[in-house]
Amino acid sequence: MNDIGEFTLLLALATALYGCVAYVMSARGNRIDLYLSADKTPIIVWACVVISSICLWKAFLTDDFSLQYVWAYSNRELDTFYKISSFWGGQKGSLLFWTLLLSTYMLVVYFQNRKKNLRVVPYAMAIMLLIVVFFLFLINFSTNPFERIPLPPEDGRGLNPLLQNYWMVIHPPTLYLGYVGFTVPFAFAVAALISKDLDDGWIRMTRKWTLLSWFFLCMGNLFGASWAYVELGWGGYWAWDPVENAAFMPLLVATAYLHSVMIQEKKDMMKVWNMSLVLLTFAMTIFGTFITRSGLIQSVHTFDEATLGYYFLAFLFVIIFACAALIIARLPLLKSANELDSFLSRESSFLFNNLVLLGIAFATFWGTIFPIISEAVRGVKITVGPPFYNQVNVPIGLALLALIGIGPVIAWRRATFSNLKKNFLKPVSAGIVAAVVLFPVIPLGNRTEIYTYITFVLCVFVLTSMFTEFYKGTVSRMGLHDESAVGALATMTWRNKRRYGGYIVHMGVVLIFAGIAGSQAYGTHTEKHLQIGESFEIRGYTITYEKLIAVEATNVKTRIIAQLAVERDGKRYWTGHPEKEFYKGQNQPVSEVDVLSTWKEDLYMILADFREDESATIKVYVNPMVSWLWTGGWIIAFGSMISMWPDRLEQRRRLERVRRQEQLFPSPAQE
Amino acid sequence: MGFIHFLELILIVAILLAVGIPLFGKLKLKKLVEAVDPTSDKYKHLLVRKEETLISIKELEFDFSTDKISEPDYKVLRHRLEAEATEILERLDQLEQEHRKKLTPQ
Repeated sequence: MNDIGEFTLLLALATALYGCVAYVMSARGNRIDLYLSADKTPIIVWACVVISSICLWKAFLTDDFSLQYVWAYSNRELDTFYKISSFWGGQKGSLLFWTLLLSTYMLVVYFQNRKKNLRVVPYAMAIMLLIVVFFLFLINFSTNPFERIPLPPEDGRGLNPLLQNYWMVIHPPTLYLGYVGFTVPFAFAVAALISKDLDDGWIRMTRKWTLLSWFFLCMGNLFGASWAYVELGWGGYWAWDPVENAAFMPLLVATAYLHSVMIQEKKDMMKVWNMSLVLLTFAMTIFGTFITRSGLIQSVHTFDEATLGYYFLAFLFVIIFACAALIIARLPLLKSANELDSFLSRESSFLFNNLVLLGIAFATFWGTIFPIISEAVRGVKITVGPPFYNQVNVPIGLALLALIGIGPVIAWRRATFSNLKKNFLKPVSAGIVAAVVLFPVIPLGNRTEIYTYITFVLCVFVLTSMFTEFYKGTVSRMGLHDESAVGALATMTWRNKRRYGGYIVHMGVVLIFAGIAGSQAYGTHTEKHLQIGESFEIRGYTITYEKLIAVEATNVKTRIIAQLAVERDGKRYWTGHPEKEFYKGQNQPVSEVDVLSTWKEDLYMILADFREDESATIKVYVNPMVSWLWTGGWIIAFGSMISMWPDRLEQRRRLERVRRQEQLFPSPAQE
Repeated sequence: MGFIHFLELILIVAILLAVGIPLFGKLKLKKLVEAVDPTSDKYKHLLVRKEETLISIKELEFDFSTDKISEPDYKVLRHRLEAEATEILERLDQLEQEHRKKLTPQ
């Protein structure tokens, strides 16, 4: 099987290379024979990569330690669940997994578009195949997961215990689905530039792909935060780690793109800006991969054998220069047909939102690469930590939060001060009430607390602005169509999925802002060394160390569990079981925290240390409002689903367009 | 030759056949796309603009009904959008007529 797996990777590479060349030649030479020949390659490449992936999965499931990769990331005792996810546990497999997702996306794009705009689609397929070629080249010649060990060992080294968590099965694939997904809009954007077919057809063809990729990237970031929270055992969920930043930056740029693209659709303007944003988003995904695989930056997320940085850096430079050259060459065709009607309009608020999002992305980028630059120029490695990011990004983030509330209240095209006054009355009043009510309650002793206070006030402002939008729309619809409130709300949301789905997403973002602010400002923690029966207090909780339990969980895993009774107001409230897990062959034990999560706060417990006399060092954090973050994530997911849901009206309009076009110009249907 | 090598050979032959067959047919004479007719592109673009302008009018009405926009602004913008839509419809008609004329034998 391994031979087949390795061979199909080579076949995939050769086929992808041929497909790429044939697609370009078919478009340039206007040859249908070459197109039909190239047209088979996405399926073949996908099939080859699937076969290869099945072979690698089989090697994991059958403990085939003749493969160096399986030996390095699995062992006989590993749960089947983790054997499956070990596939992407290391660099080699994760690249193959990336290629598997990319070729699958490519296959879907192929079936969706192969008979559509034949001026653009061949180039788009060629671009996607070219990216597949890059990954397959690395897999075949630099980091082959089918590399053999001449004398296969009896057992494997095992998967890093930190990766033996259910989030390992969820977080990387979700993040990769986001990363990889942006290849589709990128490919169509470049194809539009090459083919000079620069109306907004490419945007319409990739709108859902962009939303889907944004959704996965957003969820990937949140799942990563959740994983860090429960697995890394330091009490937090985000550390501005370079690899976290690498996943955060494309999300910011993609968010900017998602907003500004609406202006292009509505007003046929900002073509260069949107083109640049979509290319920058893709470049950021490759930059993220460079960070993870370069070995230049130390992070808990980087791969052990990170040696591919220079390949990715070279690829990144090629992408940036080629795309910049293409945009410059096509500048005359990318001229805007219209201008903003007024600076007091939703379009303007979107532009500000773009600047703010890019500001955060740039600050994050700068903080991420500064250690590399510093080391290269001065030979001194400087660590850029959370204080830098918090100092720069928090004020910009607050501006973004305010814009989330301002945008929906302003009308498209033009707004007047008198109407703004009227429309802002409720949200601003709610914000003022919140400011007055919270002022005596919330401590304002330092900058973090002041920022948190402002965040809460803005959250109230934004949520009121959103609810007012739903309320006004519902009332208006009830008046016009004689519907019940629930019916009007549901129909209005369903008929305007993009608008109201977007508002729901924004509500989720507000909860995330509130959760971050609350947990950063008002968290507390303590660390105590306790004998059995001893207690201590933290924020009204009385915590008593009851006993230490040792459990032989499996042949390779021993669990040492501390039992902690939590009392509140003199009553037993909960029993916590933080633990340390010892894995055979691993020097460092892994902490498994225990968390009692409520909407108000999380009680987060860590067994930091224990001794032979059964005394233990217990660390307890009280993190307020962390659950708001995860709730915000689910609301974002719900809103995204509504936005992405296929729109029958839109489909009907598209079909009508195609029908009219075909009636007059009976060539192949053009989207 | 082992079974694996045989399988590999089969795979290569299958792929070569799949991508090779279209190259040896009579398709060489056919074009992938017809020469780009600038009118067709313009027409397509106008259809999209027409649709977007009509959506903008609907949204404007909605914004007005929810009191997001003042009456004078609503009237100005509605007038502008209607003028835009009319212009687009006229240009579409014009393109259709010109194209039909072109197709009609002299």
